[in-house]
Amino acid sequence: MSKKIALVAMVLVSVTAVSCGDGRTPLVIYSPHGRDLLQRAEEIFEAQNPSVDVRWLDMGSQDVFDRVRSERVNPQADVWYGGPSNLFARAAAESLLHAYRPVWADAVPERARGAGDFFFAVFETPLVIAFNSVALTRAEAPQDWDDVLRPEWNDKVVIRDPIASGTMRSIFGMIMQRSLRESGNTESGIAWLRRLDGQTREYPINPALLHQKLIRQEGLITLWGLPDILVESSKGRPLDYVLPTSGTPVIEDAIAVVRGTDNLAIAQRFVDWVGSVDAQLFAAREVFRLPSRTDLPEDSLPAWVLDVRSHLVVEEMDWLLLADSGAAWMNYWDRNIRGSGAPAD
Amino acid sequence: MKRRTGLILVGFLLWIVVYPIAIVILESFRDAEGWTVTPLIGFVREPSEWSALWNSVWISLASVVSAAVVGIPLAFVFEKLEFPGRRILGALVALPAVLPPLVGVIAFLFLYGESGFVARIITEVLDLDESPWRLRGAGAILLVHSYSMYVYFYLFTRAGLAKIDSSMTEAAQSLGSPGFSIFRRVTLPLLKPQLGAAALLAFMTSLGSFSAPYIFGGGFRVMTTRIVTSKLNGDMPAALIEATWLAAVALLGLVMFRRFSGSRSVAVMSKGMAARAATIRQPMARWGATTIGWLFAAFLLLPHITLVLVSFVPLNGWSTEILPSSYTIANYITLLHEPERLRPLWNSIWMAGVSTILVLTLSLWAAREIVQRKVRLRGTIESLLNVPWAVPGTVLAVALATMFSVSAPWVGRWVLVGTVVILPLAYFVRNIPVACGAVVAGLRQIDPSLSEAAASLGASKMRTLWRVTVPLIRPALLAGGALAFVTAAGDFVTSVVLYTFETRPVSIEILGALRAYDLGMAAAYGVVLMFVSAAAMVVGTRR
Repeated sequence: MSKKIALVAMVLVSVTAVSCGDGRTPLVIYSPHGRDLLQRAEEIFEAQNPSVDVRWLDMGSQDVFDRVRSERVNPQADVWYGGPSNLFARAAAESLLHAYRPVWADAVPERARGAGDFFFAVFETPLVIAFNSVALTRAEAPQDWDDVLRPEWNDKVVIRDPIASGTMRSIFGMIMQRSLRESGNTESGIAWLRRLDGQTREYPINPALLHQKLIRQEGLITLWGLPDILVESSKGRPLDYVLPTSGTPVIEDAIAVVRGTDNLAIAQRFVDWVGSVDAQLFAAREVFRLPSRTDLPEDSLPAWVLDVRSHLVVEEMDWLLLADSGAAWMNYWDRNIRGSGAPAD
Repeated sequence: MKRRTGLILVGFLLWIVVYPIAIVILESFRDAEGWTVTPLIGFVREPSEWSALWNSVWISLASVVSAAVVGIPLAFVFEKLEFPGRRILGALVALPAVLPPLVGVIAFLFLYGESGFVARIITEVLDLDESPWRLRGAGAILLVHSYSMYVYFYLFTRAGLAKIDSSMTEAAQSLGSPGFSIFRRVTLPLLKPQLGAAALLAFMTSLGSFSAPYIFGGGFRVMTTRIVTSKLNGDMPAALIEATWLAAVALLGLVMFRRFSGSRSVAVMSKGMAARAATIRQPMARWGATTIGWLFAAFLLLPHITLVLVSFVPLNGWSTEILPSSYTIANYITLLHEPERLRPLWNSIWMAGVSTILVLTLSLWAAREIVQRKVRLRGTIESLLNVPWAVPGTVLAVALATMFSVSAPWVGRWVLVGTVVILPLAYFVRNIPVACGAVVAGLRQIDPSLSEAAASLGASKMRTLWRVTVPLIRPALLAGGALAFVTAAGDFVTSVVLYTFETRPVSIEILGALRAYDLGMAAAYGVVLMFVSAAAMVVGTRR
């Protein structure tokens, strides 16, 4: 009897212990940016704001959207940091975001500013064809999207499971958009994705598994965002990339304050910091993010930024179309294409 | 007075067990404008939905069969034959039970995956270019399921065999019945309730299984992964209708398995002894049995060993080598020293603890009602207690998330999403059948005259409960509590839908570590969880 009471008491004490922090105000961030960026961002921001305790949860950008939506009545996140701006546009349309115009709003180009000030892009993420640089040279790797469908890459492609990934959704969206532009319907896009599925060996459930499968040569090529590839290769991993010659989507990688946050002032301070010159340079130098700001002096930017900017062919994207039809396309893909594709002939 | 507590209990169970599912079903027929059957039609017309549903059903049935094929013979061997190491091996064989679903799946990935130990060794020995197999699709799911679920058949069959009176088989033997006939006509019918219970447990667990299809499924879709994908894709109506269908199938399965195993066990009223294990006398056979037994145990322990090994691998310490090249205890040091790393562990333990205490309280209450009440409400309460069986974890999570995201106290709905309450509550609901089943069974076996005697001596109700009833059914309470605790501490399916930063449990942190490809850290969490589960099991099976 007394043991049980002691147990209950212990549990109650521990619950209170857990719920009381160290007196700092917690700032909860949902983000797909990954540990490399988030851990450094936490350190730097906390050093500048000693009263704030930055807490981040790392997940796919589609996961973030889903969580923010399910927590609508009782928001747990204060800031949503990262993800394609079309996803943010959908969230804004569902009244999930809090409008805030950061102090750096005028330093980024028009395309980086979300309608109604609900979100602003802080990074630009070009999508690339990445490959294992031990197995292939840059010249041997596919140079453009259509090259990925060539027979020699059959069963050599690994792709991040696109359902949870904003990055992959953007690539699939580009394919569908091209199909609509060229023929007015989605047929050729669907056929393309089916052939890609035929080439694909596996759909890893997270980016880290994707990288590992490339590194271990379980697959040789993938389609992915540039920053992750640069981060991995800076750690000595055998990964390299090609900028597709026919053009590639550049994701406007955005940030927003979550509606209903109880830490509005701190959340806004964090958004202000992420777009500041210091934070943009930190992101470019340490974690290979392409800054959105156009007013950064060229000589302070690392060489890779200038290199990418000079070679990049930007594909015009109709993000509104993607926000509208993206979910239906992905649904169709998941139900009718995944696992059904014939290999290239 | 008694009547009223029974009604309160029924009301409570209706609210927490039936209401959330009813909400899911109703919501799947509603949209912004009002009632609609569009999602239903969409489901019925969609071939891929049917194939996912069919996959769920056949993989569950196949899991039951394969688990039975492994578990039942094993139980006979350990119960009927005596050979060196029988006792310790008998305990080791039950060890898959301490691997929580996600942890087990991860261990299999390290061990049998394309770049796992076994594949690497075979590739190296046979000098192949690439792994001889891929751990993917239905086969991989079945492998994991049979590994983790044969334990049900093994334990239940052994328990059944231990209770079978040897005079029954001896009688059949003296009547001239041949060995196999005795097995078929006497032993098997006596075991039917146990086998039915094990089959039901395995079927429901595989139907609700999420970790294995999520990690190994690939293009092979089952209903649980389907629901999560639909929700992730923002298609809530589809997720709800899929949840409804899965719940319907589960309910059907529940009814059918119950019918098969019969409502009551075959009455065996005698005072004979259970048969003693036969010692194998022939030395060769004896050694053969021992060797096979140990080899099998080693095979069963490989995932555990793998997990422990990988937990000593530093970050990025294992890429293309067969075995990791360097080992360190840094993962454990990090785990214990960084408060943010330790927190998920602590979360899992306190949330599982709270939910276990709650579910045991409920089970005591329910058991008293069932045992004391003569008719009517008893059946209702028993059925209600079993309803969570019919609700796969994913469906339950979606149901609770839907129910508790609206503030409407007058219809019993509060905003609990995003609070610390929701996860323990979900664990509590999931564990109602397990804990209550054990406690009700325990209470049935004790003589009501004991508590009546206490009452007639003037003991208050509480006093009688604490001093008479609880001590008498202590084994049942401990067993039910241990099972509930282990399930809650290792839960992944419901947690992944309902966690917050404050309450993220170990399973979510394991997934996070995997996302960062921190294999060692993921394994270290798995090892700690394994030991916590094992400790709970040791407490729970103490007689």
